[in-house]
Amino acid sequence: MVTNGAIGRISQYTLDNGLRLVTAPAATGQLVAVNLWYGVGSRFEVPGRTGFAHLFEHLMFQGSGGVAKGEHFDAVERLGGEINASTSTDRTNYFETVPEHALDLALWLEADRLATLRDGMTQEVLDNQRDVVKNERRQRYDNVPYGTAFERILRLGYPEGHPYHHSTIGSMQDLDDADLDYVLSFHKKHYGPDNLVLTVVSNLDPDDVHDRVNKYLGGVPPRETVAEAPNAELEGLIGGPVRDTAVEQVPAPRVFLGYRVPAYGEREFDVMHLASAILGYGQGSRLYQRLVVERGIANDDGGMASDVLSFRYTPSLLLVTMIAREGVSGDELEAAIREEVAGLADGVAEEELERARAILERDHLQTISTPSGLADTIGSCTQFFGEPELASTWPQRWAAISTDDIVACVKRLLVDENLLVVRFDPEETGDGAAEPDPASA
Amino acid sequence: MLQPRPELGPPQPYTFPKPRRLSVGSGHVIAIDVPGQQYAAVRLVQPAGAANEPLDRMGVAYLTGEVLEDGVRGNSSLAPALEQYGAEWVCRVTWDSFVTGVDAPITRISDAVALFAEAVRAPALRPEDVVRRRDQLIERFWLDSSVPSTLAMRAVGGQLFTGRYGTPLNGGPVKLRDLTPEVVADFHARSIASVAGTLVVVGDLSGVDLEELGKTVFADAAPTPTAPITPPEHASGERPRIMLLDRPGSVQSAVVLAHHAPSRPETDLPKADGMSDVLGGMFTSRLNMELRERLGYTYGVGCQFDLRRDSGVFILRTQVDAAATAHSVTVTLAEIDRLQADGVTEEELEAVRESNTVGLPVTYSTARSLASALVEMVVHDLPEDHVDRLRAGFEGLTAEDLGMAARNLLHPRESVVIVAGDAAQIEEPLRETGFGPVSVRDPESLWS
Repeated sequence: MVTNGAIGRISQYTLDNGLRLVTAPAATGQLVAVNLWYGVGSRFEVPGRTGFAHLFEHLMFQGSGGVAKGEHFDAVERLGGEINASTSTDRTNYFETVPEHALDLALWLEADRLATLRDGMTQEVLDNQRDVVKNERRQRYDNVPYGTAFERILRLGYPEGHPYHHSTIGSMQDLDDADLDYVLSFHKKHYGPDNLVLTVVSNLDPDDVHDRVNKYLGGVPPRETVAEAPNAELEGLIGGPVRDTAVEQVPAPRVFLGYRVPAYGEREFDVMHLASAILGYGQGSRLYQRLVVERGIANDDGGMASDVLSFRYTPSLLLVTMIAREGVSGDELEAAIREEVAGLADGVAEEELERARAILERDHLQTISTPSGLADTIGSCTQFFGEPELASTWPQRWAAISTDDIVACVKRLLVDENLLVVRFDPEETGDGAAEPDPASA
Repeated sequence: MLQPRPELGPPQPYTFPKPRRLSVGSGHVIAIDVPGQQYAAVRLVQPAGAANEPLDRMGVAYLTGEVLEDGVRGNSSLAPALEQYGAEWVCRVTWDSFVTGVDAPITRISDAVALFAEAVRAPALRPEDVVRRRDQLIERFWLDSSVPSTLAMRAVGGQLFTGRYGTPLNGGPVKLRDLTPEVVADFHARSIASVAGTLVVVGDLSGVDLEELGKTVFADAAPTPTAPITPPEHASGERPRIMLLDRPGSVQSAVVLAHHAPSRPETDLPKADGMSDVLGGMFTSRLNMELRERLGYTYGVGCQFDLRRDSGVFILRTQVDAAATAHSVTVTLAEIDRLQADGVTEEELEAVRESNTVGLPVTYSTARSLASALVEMVVHDLPEDHVDRLRAGFEGLTAEDLGMAARNLLHPRESVVIVAGDAAQIEEPLRETGFGPVSVRDPESLWS
């Protein structure tokens, strides 16, 4: 097996305040990748407060007790560093890669906003970032074709009131309703060192890194009360097929299929991950070969038709999506995709499985070959499973899965009773055509 | 509880790694050894970019790049073949270069490169694959153009240039239709199959025979020709002006301000990029602070110089709340005016200088980024200490340099502002800005 140099060289520490620190070596020198995984995401949101974990991620860059608005970005940009953050259902992730001599500053900046964010928060800042996030929502969801697909998928895949029923971006109304008191209580409730995995990838001595982390973050007290995780239990299949059809200004029909599959980390998640790759990931996948190359009814997506939306604390979703070629209806494309999905139950060839393993392993190796990618993968493995070494050995999990495992799982999970369908169809135009003819434009 | 803010010590001095060079047959190999980097980046650089395509063959380089993925057996056979080595195909066609490559585990690099070389030099190029890829490209053009930011960016070329630069890099939907399998085969035979090029290799090279890799890729191909420089003609039309691409119902407007700029060899990069950083290139840039962090009109704004071997373009882009479209244009112009009139502050100068010097270990922390730097050196015929020279250029910048660059390189009154948005809502406010005449176009009429 191909490995990266981190195997056996990962060090773990737990500070007295509960902060979990992991260190690993970098392949290139003179830099440090600092990556923080806080165990809070949109799954903690309640109806009427959607989008808040993500809005809060923005607020974490807007000033704190010792840092002015914009200063965190400024400090890292001056170092030529890379800095950003992201929010998902299951966690909020902050990360920066900076030159090695700036590690102390990066740690101090993180410590300051962890300990004193509430001291720097203002109504003006909240109002501004609310507008920014509303524009992010417009840019990614409301002003692009098919932009609301993800929200529609989650609404069908998880019942109302379930913590995964809504998307991380939230609704415009809920963003408008966010208030300063809630901002402050959210920080107090979720942002403590006891809810944090901090990963540092560098060529510094691990004990040196530990000493510095302890110096800057060791004095931040843990949360007084640990937030109770919402109940995300969900038994059984979706109860489908369930369907949502949008007739909108879209350039061509698009089909999304979703199936509930086990949670990220379970063996059957890996089985379905491989099934997904066999079905629709890569130009050697069934969907690409059959519907793009042979039948010519789906748009060329380069082999990106299928993936698994991974959720750690509730069933995940295997998603399939394709866009119809000119003159092909949504009904025809949907039927063709469902036929290919059903075909998996008839058997999977060993070479198909080997291709799927190879493509997933390739992606994994590419990710951990960069300092920031390695740090992020380690953060994930530690936050979710308490096992940072998984970052190096993850592909071994795929090696033990057989074609029979896949077929058995497919027969149970990729069935109509577990199916959600989201369809986008173009609005009828004035001349009766279902869609504009690009050739005549 | 909290420690005082730490003082930054001096950064370690950084020098770009010295590449190893060797000639193999008619080609050249340039390599950087990164001990411990187990995932290698391999790139073949050839000068067959889109800039020199004949007007009746626009898009042939891009389409050929796509067709290469059909491999030596056709039917998209390349990717599955590479996957067995844990490798991934790379192809990037620019105005000035045709770059193919493979990313692969260093332990399997020989096998992956052999497969890669075969795919580049002797692909099947079956007519049915070419036609399928071409027709898919045309449809994808319209799909991608339904995204407002893509639509606005694709319209820039036609507003600033005639000739090849007036049409998008991939040829656009109309010109692509004229490309036949024979045209693709001819281009491939003349410009790709028979041209040695330069091979870039980055990774842990302790067990890698670079000469053998070179032999595999170059075989008996001919020496690489020099691409001719063809200064493009500028499009006519009044400037400044606003072209509004009507997208009814848009809740947001994609805004692009673009004008001509000098070519890459004519441009002093630290001065141009440093000034651009201050205006809109960094998160803490003036425009981002104003449009995003003060007014809340946008999720982000950016600007940059797109510098080609024989021309250049300055591009400033953002997406704003529809109701704020006209005011965003006025604010942007005011910020450019202010930069040209008052220059930059010492603090801004320091930020630009530091971010482009002490950050180099971060910039070049991956095999891919190191390979990209080598590719750039090959395409633009730069010295191997190019990165170190750039760093020295940034270290030597003065506030006067950046102020002068703003005055010399920014030409808002000679620009075209392209807006993809809801004309019914934003046309009149855009007229009221007084920036220039406003024309409303149906996006589908752009490439007829």
